[in-house]
Amino acid sequence: MKINNHGGYVEKQMKFDLYIPENFEALLKYLAANGKDAVFVAGGSDLMPRIKRRLVKPKLLVDLSSLRELDYVKQEDGCIRIGALATISELSESTVLSRQYEAFRQVAARYGGPAIRNIATIGGNVAAAASSEDLIPVLLALDATIHTTSARGTQARPLREFLVGKRRTSLSPDELITEISFRALNGNSWCTFEKVGRRNSLIIALVSLAVCMEIESDIMKVNDIRVAFNRFRGRIPERAIGLETALRGRSLNEETIAEGVRVLDSELALTSDYRASSEYRVEAAKACLRKAVVHCAEQISSLK
Amino acid sequence: MPPEGGSALCRTDFEPEVIVVTKHLLKFRVNEKDYAVTVDSYDRLIDVLRDKLGLKGTKEGCGTGDCGTCAVIMNGKLVNSCLVLAMQARESSITTVEGIGGEEVLHPLQETFIQSGASQCGYCIPGMLVTAKHLLDTNPRASEEEIKLAISGVLCRCTGYTKIVKAIKDAQSRVAY
Repeated sequence: MKINNHGGYVEKQMKFDLYIPENFEALLKYLAANGKDAVFVAGGSDLMPRIKRRLVKPKLLVDLSSLRELDYVKQEDGCIRIGALATISELSESTVLSRQYEAFRQVAARYGGPAIRNIATIGGNVAAAASSEDLIPVLLALDATIHTTSARGTQARPLREFLVGKRRTSLSPDELITEISFRALNGNSWCTFEKVGRRNSLIIALVSLAVCMEIESDIMKVNDIRVAFNRFRGRIPERAIGLETALRGRSLNEETIAEGVRVLDSELALTSDYRASSEYRVEAAKACLRKAVVHCAEQISSLK
Repeated sequence: MPPEGGSALCRTDFEPEVIVVTKHLLKFRVNEKDYAVTVDSYDRLIDVLRDKLGLKGTKEGCGTGDCGTCAVIMNGKLVNSCLVLAMQARESSITTVEGIGGEEVLHPLQETFIQSGASQCGYCIPGMLVTAKHLLDTNPRASEEEIKLAISGVLCRCTGYTKIVKAIKDAQSRVAY
């Protein structure tokens, strides 16, 4: 029987069991034995609505909220390292994420409302692996690595390989995301985020994208650029590799930007749904790309 | 089996299979009072506040974090009580709308909300009051823009927000912080 995503109101509460780990080691041992049935809950801002709407019916939740050692933002050896439990609020207020990481503050400004931002975590965004998770395009543009731990040891995988399909990652049942890391931006770089939704707050992105760019600003040459959209050719966030190739190494001007927009137009394969038509999404994506690229270039120039 | 296309309300296939569910002892502080209460694994903070503690002021407008009326202050931060599991609030300090002002003496926010006509149907008001109280505690000299940003997580279908913003501004000038 079909039920739409925002299904009818159901009176009965969903029942599930809850495991509260005493510490990290106890959690890993528990997962080795019970990982198959376990569903992690950190902030709950993605999972709880899905349970309410009967989109998932977990038997067992594992509460991660007490593992405070996973809540940090630091810079080490030229890398930014963010613990999986860092919240959207914490990321937007972090002094480690300097001006150039404007994307994190831009995500926060349009992410749910203040209460959601206080509980939603970066690990949760990545694990949800959906186009609604605004941090994913930013992390793809930053070429982030996902660090996981299980009783068997640790692993590090690039985010773009970690996302396998709509709401599917390459996580094993006994594995936990512990950290997200990426190379720190140099002095000629900027990372920005754009989102189009029907409201300013409490709204899902119709189109969102992140651009991470490095420019030699005196000659406006694009040394490097990475662009990721919430949806590109399917229904999960992806990097727009063809677009990046078209702009990398070029001089940034009206002509090259217009060319980039044309390449994007030819590569986007967006579908219509009840929220917006594909035509609208494509036009919004093109406008956002232009806006983001210009903004990045302006900000990098101002860094001097 | 109900026919295809029937409304979700007449569906009978949502009965979850019988599973073993642990009960937990939740120890926390609500509105300056300490509690130790037995909860089910699947209880949310809002369920405990309303059904176990009898604090009916916190409302469930959507249960999905989209409306904000269930907002409470947890360890100094605004959270949606419909998304936080009861046991995730263990050892925490919670303030609900009942913790703002008292039955004898209203909090200035409650007075200005009444005087400004900021409450129509009343359903968003717990979320608005808790949010406004949190704002006055953390940013007492908030600008109008900051007030609007602060309440951007609570939806109101009646007032158009103007009277709510005015009530918060009026309370700012009354409150000696």
